[in-house]
Amino acid sequence: MRTISVVIPVKDGARWLAATLAAVRREAPHEILLIDSGSTDNSVAIARAAGVRVLEIEPAEFGHGRTRNLAVASTSGELIAFLTQDAEPVPGWLAAYREAFELDERVGAAFGPHLPRPDTSPMIARELREFFAGFSPEGGPTIQRSADEAAWHPGFLSNANAAYRRSVLEAIPFRDVAYAEDQAFARDLFAARGWKAYHPGAGVLHAHDYPWAQFMRRYFDEYRGLRETTGHVEAIAPRSTVRAVRDAVARDRAFLAAEGAGAAQRLRWTGRSVAHHGGRRVFAALGSRADRLPAAAQRGLSLEGRGDGEASGATPSAPRLTAIPARRRRELFAEILDAEVHGAAPLLPAAPGASARTPLHVAIVIPPFRRGSGGHDTIFRIFREIERMGHTVSVWLDDPEGRHPERPAVLRREIRDWFARLDAPVFTGFEQWYGADVALATGWQTVFPVLGLDACRARAYFVQDHEPEFYPAAAERRWAAETYGQGLHHICASPWLADLVRTRYGGTASVFQLGADGDVYRQLDVVRRRDTVVFYGRAVTARRAVPLGLLALAELKRRRPAARVVIYGDPIPNDTSFPYEHAGVASQDELAHLYCEATVGLCLSMTNYSRVPQEMMACGLPCVDLAGYSAESVFGEDGPVELSDFSPTALADHIERLMDDEALWQRRSQAGQAFVAAHTWGAAAREVEAGLREALRLREGIAQPNAPLR
Amino acid sequence: MDVDVTDRAAEDLARENERLRAAIAELEDELARQAARTNTIRAEAQERVYWLDRWNLDLNELMRRPGAEQLRWLVRALRQPLRALRKLKRRLLG
Repeated sequence: MRTISVVIPVKDGARWLAATLAAVRREAPHEILLIDSGSTDNSVAIARAAGVRVLEIEPAEFGHGRTRNLAVASTSGELIAFLTQDAEPVPGWLAAYREAFELDERVGAAFGPHLPRPDTSPMIARELREFFAGFSPEGGPTIQRSADEAAWHPGFLSNANAAYRRSVLEAIPFRDVAYAEDQAFARDLFAARGWKAYHPGAGVLHAHDYPWAQFMRRYFDEYRGLRETTGHVEAIAPRSTVRAVRDAVARDRAFLAAEGAGAAQRLRWTGRSVAHHGGRRVFAALGSRADRLPAAAQRGLSLEGRGDGEASGATPSAPRLTAIPARRRRELFAEILDAEVHGAAPLLPAAPGASARTPLHVAIVIPPFRRGSGGHDTIFRIFREIERMGHTVSVWLDDPEGRHPERPAVLRREIRDWFARLDAPVFTGFEQWYGADVALATGWQTVFPVLGLDACRARAYFVQDHEPEFYPAAAERRWAAETYGQGLHHICASPWLADLVRTRYGGTASVFQLGADGDVYRQLDVVRRRDTVVFYGRAVTARRAVPLGLLALAELKRRRPAARVVIYGDPIPNDTSFPYEHAGVASQDELAHLYCEATVGLCLSMTNYSRVPQEMMACGLPCVDLAGYSAESVFGEDGPVELSDFSPTALADHIERLMDDEALWQRRSQAGQAFVAAHTWGAAAREVEAGLREALRLREGIAQPNAPLR
Repeated sequence: MDVDVTDRAAEDLARENERLRAAIAELEDELARQAARTNTIRAEAQERVYWLDRWNLDLNELMRRPGAEQLRWLVRALRQPLRALRKLKRRLLG
């Protein structure tokens, strides 16, 4: 379970603080930190009496972004939740945040609804309910992926009730702005390709009734802050203002009626509603034009009493600079710099006969992993088989970002429980490195640390994909490409990949082919339907060509409205122009059932092939994939897989052919099962073992670098 | 005579090379066995300390705390009569 630190910045918050702290404690967070910026009431005493850690700072030191960055540095939870002193969490608040961050690892921030208190005026209560309902039309958690997406207020984020992933806040600290640091963060997060999530269960009671003038001054500050951070200028015109106020008052009255208010009560609130909405329009417009007002007028209209940013003629001030302390022990990718400055560590002298010996000691260096990670699953399954052949394996986790706080014994158990029951010990980092016959990199990031490892006879590179293609124009793309030129022997997961390594990068390469788990993926006693297309639609993995697949399915549905489409692989359903059934991130057993029930599988890959087509074939399901990438090199041009040009109509044609032509369907299905029977994990491991020996033979000088592919 | 000496020297050199190769092979095998043993021991140790690691417990740190030794002494003191009672029960009841 992820640990959560709860942070509450406070100034004179005694009125609400005890209730807020009691509600937070009920949620059992990892820690609570209260940052007090000069309270003159007994806020600090209340917090200390509640056993809460208090950090006291000078009022002048306070800044919405700056102080929260200080909180990040002063806490240790994997997630950090921020509240304001008057935001009282409802039961299940932290559990909801944990769930929000489980939706996807790209979720960097999450927020929940602000709920009205009993004393909240109907204008505010109604607006809150409508506003937050807009984030979750179906009542469940939702994800916002971009500020430009066509969704309800995609840029909204409020630190009155929000939670963040620590690693994200360390990479993208809050800006030191006077106001709306949360909204600025949301933009920065989207710019860094991060996502945010809304969870309706992560609610706080956070709405109060204020006197009219106080409300208006708050709106002035709010819209001035929005102008300063986003450039937003609130439009105002007499006719549209009257219309907007009239509509808002009507909605307030409807809300009151729905809440059971009598006619007298509705009448009483109507006057206040007119004043509220009308005043807000005016003060919002004033706030977003505050820079045109004299400083004294700004101070008068502002609840904060701030009067800076004066009208034209003032000298532009220098930007506020924030000193950022060193937060990492080493820079990310520091091994790339090491390799450039120091070169690769020397290898042991080649030992004659070493390549033929058993046991070999193979040290596999892995990047961080998650449950269900396909690439890691392949590595561990194959090396379990390598252990069965009598070899010695050790696992070394390279985790420069500190994604795994677990100790090695826990990591080892996770690997055994989630992937394969390796006998190997697991190490984090390389402090206890004791050499190996072959040090094996398994992802581009691990190549540079492997170059720094000494006391080994050879280095090799377990290549499952052409990883530069995972990135747009980026440093990572360039570095990933450079890994193929570091002199490691490549053990590649398809002839296509090996050919690429040899011809484009001039590297040496051996080949292995992926296996399928026959215990899970097999012909089940399930009635096969004749109308079902199952599509691996993991939209977040760009190389899966999901937009192309969806176009093909739209075309198919146009031709055959009765065709049934099932899409899986992504927790969030894709928005499509046709109806379909969403299977989410299904388990292996559920997938096997789906594959046994379906008529045609659609799985597209624009780089190396994956295990999915083989898993479909193992269930007797013929599969359509893209021609011109890697599939031909593995399955042949007229083998178990129906290969299509990169065209939605061509894909729809191939799907239709398989649905209509029983003889073709049978031929592909049988060819697929024969293919899978010959491609077990044991066979894959034997090919990988040959590749490891080839790496040693190349060192011994008894293999030719340009020998034909094995 | 010269030929005999040269042949003998060549044979000696070949024997010496053979002996050295065998020694290297033996050392290589020993190294491989040592790596395998190290891995096995390390893996077994990780299996044993799993729950300690899972709960982030450092027993050395725990035993350095005030009162830890006394608690350990108390547990041992309580355990001895319990063991004696259990032994007696087994003897009496067969």
